[in-house]
Amino acid sequence: MTKTFLSPPIARILGIAGAVLAIVAAMLPWTTFVLNKGAWPDKATLQFFDAPFALTGFRWELFLVGIVALVCSVVKVPAQRRVLRGLGFGVAAIGLVNFLFITAEGGGLGAVTAADGASAFGSVAALVAGGLLILGTFGQPLEEIPRWKTNLPTPVEYLGLLVSFAVLLYVVSLTLTAGGQGGAANPYSGPMFLSFLGFGGGLMAAAAGLGILRWISKLSEKHRAFSIIVLLLCAFLLPFTNAGTEYWMTVAANIGVYAATAIGLNIVVGLAGLLDLGYVAFLGIGAFVAANLSGAAASSLGIHLPFYLVVIISAAIAGIFGAVVGSPTLRVRGDYLAIVTLAFGEIFQIAARNNIGGLTGGSNSIPNIPPLQWFDGTAYNESITLFGTPLPSGVLYYFLIVVLIAAVMAVFANLKNSRMGRAWIAIREDEDAARAMGIKTGKAKILAFLCGAVLAGIAGAVFAHKTSTVGYESFLFMESVTLLAAVILGGMGSIPGAVLGASLLFVLPEKLRAFSDYRLLIFGLALILIMRFRPQGLIPDRHRRAELAGEDAEGHTLAETPGDEPEQPRPQEVPAR
Amino acid sequence: MSPLLEVRNLSVAYGAIEAVRDVSFSVEEGQVVSLIGANGAGKTTTLRTISGLLRPTRGDILFRGEPIHRKAAHEILASGIAHSPEGRRLFGRMTVEENLQLGAYVRDDAAGIEADMRRVYELFPVLGERRHNKAGLFSGGEQQMLAIGRAMMSKPKLLMLDEPSMGLSPIMTQRIFDTIKELQSQGTTILLVEQNALAALALSDRGYVIDLGSTTLEGPGTDLLADQRVRAAYLGEG
Repeated sequence: MTKTFLSPPIARILGIAGAVLAIVAAMLPWTTFVLNKGAWPDKATLQFFDAPFALTGFRWELFLVGIVALVCSVVKVPAQRRVLRGLGFGVAAIGLVNFLFITAEGGGLGAVTAADGASAFGSVAALVAGGLLILGTFGQPLEEIPRWKTNLPTPVEYLGLLVSFAVLLYVVSLTLTAGGQGGAANPYSGPMFLSFLGFGGGLMAAAAGLGILRWISKLSEKHRAFSIIVLLLCAFLLPFTNAGTEYWMTVAANIGVYAATAIGLNIVVGLAGLLDLGYVAFLGIGAFVAANLSGAAASSLGIHLPFYLVVIISAAIAGIFGAVVGSPTLRVRGDYLAIVTLAFGEIFQIAARNNIGGLTGGSNSIPNIPPLQWFDGTAYNESITLFGTPLPSGVLYYFLIVVLIAAVMAVFANLKNSRMGRAWIAIREDEDAARAMGIKTGKAKILAFLCGAVLAGIAGAVFAHKTSTVGYESFLFMESVTLLAAVILGGMGSIPGAVLGASLLFVLPEKLRAFSDYRLLIFGLALILIMRFRPQGLIPDRHRRAELAGEDAEGHTLAETPGDEPEQPRPQEVPAR
Repeated sequence: MSPLLEVRNLSVAYGAIEAVRDVSFSVEEGQVVSLIGANGAGKTTTLRTISGLLRPTRGDILFRGEPIHRKAAHEILASGIAHSPEGRRLFGRMTVEENLQLGAYVRDDAAGIEADMRRVYELFPVLGERRHNKAGLFSGGEQQMLAIGRAMMSKPKLLMLDEPSMGLSPIMTQRIFDTIKELQSQGTTILLVEQNALAALALSDRGYVIDLGSTTLEGPGTDLLADQRVRAAYLGEG
C-alpha cells in the first residue's frame, strides 16, 4: 500500500504538469553542440521552432507518451494512477538514457544543459517530467487493475485477438529495427534502442495498468487454437515488415535457434526442476553431428545425408548423451547435479576444442557446411520473392526456424500436459512425495534429460546449416548460463516465457553493441532488476504465477484465507530453483 | 485366514545405524492398527520400508501373503498399499484437484478416478469447495484432510497414515480421528503411526508399542490403553 503523503489535488496538478513538461521536452533541443561521433539523432540539436513538425525518433515517442499522459491525467480513465505511473517511468527512462549518453559522449553536463551560449534542456526536462508523473500517482493508493469482460460474442473476441497480435507483430518489428543496425555509420543505435525500450515499456506498463494485457492473455487462453494460428501467421509476416532485411532476419533466426533450445532446457529445469549448467553441449552435439553428415569439405567423414535424416540422427545422438548425462540424477541431487552437468558442459567444450576424433575441427571449426535446399533447388540463403514481395536472403532459414519453434512448442505442450509431465512437476515440487505417489522418479528424470537433449539436438542441426560454420566457441559455459537465464527470466515451465526470455537475452547483447564495455554490466543490472520486481518471470507459468503473485490458479487475487488452525504456520512461499 | 499385512522380524539400517530392529506385527483386514512409541523409535522408518521407499536389512513383509519387501515403491502402491507420509508432503503449489490426480498416478481408469475424487470431496466438503485452490494455502487440518484424500486416490486396501495429528489443534485432531473411523467403516484397513497414543489407541483394534527399534508390547487398543507401562511411558502418568 502506497503512502499518501500528497493531497489528491496537488498530486493531480503534479501529474498534469509532468505530462505537459514531457511534451515540452520533446520540443526542446537536447544537445548544445554536435558530438564528436556525429550529431545526436532525430535533429536533436535543432531548435524545435525551426521545424515544428519534424519530430522523429525518440522525440516523437516522447511527444506521444506526453500526449497520452496528458489525456489520461485530465480525462477520468480506469486505474488512472497505474497508467500514469507506467507512462511516467517511460518518460523518465527516455530522459535518463539520453541524458546519460549525451553527457558521456559530450564530455560533461554542459552537453545537456547550457554551453557556448546554447541551451539544451530536453533530457533534463524529460527526467523531471517523468519524476512529476510518477510523483503525481502518490496522491492516493494505486487502484486495482480493472477486469474486462471475457464473455463477449466470439467474433468480437477474435477481432480483439487479431488486433492485439497485429499490434504485437508491429511492436516486434519496431523493436528489432529500433535504433537501426549498429556500426560506424550509426554510432547512436544503442541509446536509440534503449529510448525505444523506454517508450515501449511505458506504454506496455500503461496497458497492463488498464488491464488490457490480462484481458488479451485471458482471451488467448480461451481461444488457444485461434491464437496459435494467428501468432504463427504473424511470425510468417514479420519478413514483410520493416524488419525484413537480411541483417534482421539473421538476428531473428539466431534468436529462434536459442528459443527452441531454451524450450528444451525448460523441460529439464522448468518442469522436472533439475538444474543443468551444461545444456548448450546438446546443441553443440546436434550441430557437430549435422556438420559431419551434411557434406562439409572439412568433415573427415565425408558423408552427405538428406536433411531430414541428419535431423533425426542429430536428435538421436544428442538424446543418447542426454540420457548418459541424466543418469547421475539417480544418485546426485540439487547442487551436486548442477556440478555434474557443469562438468559435462566443460568436457564437451574441451573435447570439441581438441578436435576429438577429428569430428569437431578444433579451433578451425567446420566451415562451409552447404546450405539447405528447397525442393526446387533454391538454397536457403538465397533471397526469394513471395507474393510479389522480394524477401531478403536468410528468410527461408527464418521460416524454417519458425516452423521448428512451433513444433518444439507443440512437443513441449503435449509433454507438459501428459502423465509424464505431471510426474515431472511432482518431482520438481517434492521428489520423495512423488515417489510415494508411485512415480518412477529415476526413469522420469532420465527421460527429462533425454527429451531436453533431443530438442536441443534438432535445434543444433538447424543451427549448423544456418550459420554454415560450427566451432566450439559457440557452445561455451556462457551460452549455457544465458539459456538458463532465458528460462528463468521468461518464467520457468512457461512456453511463451522461454521464447520471450531467449529473444530478450539474445537480442539485447546484439542491440547493446554500441556500449561494448558496459553491455554485460547493463545486461546484468537489467536481469537483477527484473528478477527483483518480477520473480515469477516475464510470462509465468500458471502454477508459478499463482505461487509468486498471490493469485490462485484461476487468476483471482487471493485474500488472506482464514484458517481454523492458528497454531499451524503456513508454508512459506519461496520460489524453488 | 492370513493377515492383510504381516511384518516379520523387520530390521532397517541407515548405513551403520540400525533404526528398526526385529519389529514384528500384523494387520488384519478391516482393522485399525496403531504403532505407538516415542520419537526416534523407528515408526516412520517402518512405514517407509513397507511402502518401498527404504530397503530392509533383514526380515519379511508380506502383503496378502506375498512378500513385497523387494518390490519397487510404485509396484507396492499399485498392489494396494497407500502411504500418507509424515509431515503430509503435499504438492503445495498445486491445486487440491492436481494433488488428488497425482494420488491416482498409478491408476488409469479415468471414470474410477473421477468417482473416487467425488468420494473424497464428499468426505471432506471443504476440499471440494476449494478444489482449484493451491494446497499450500490451506490450514494444517485441511492439508491433513487432503493428504488422506490423496492417499485414498490410489484405491488402497491398506492405508498407512504417518502422524496425521501432527501440529493440529485438539478439535481438528478429533475430526481427523473421526475420519479414520469413517474410512474403516467403509472397508479400508488402516495402519496408523501416532505420537498421540491416547487418541490412537482409543480407536484401534490393535496396538503395538515400538521402543528403540523393537516391538515391546502388543494387544488390543483398549488393553494397551489400560496397561500401566504404556500409561507411564506415553501418557505421562507415573
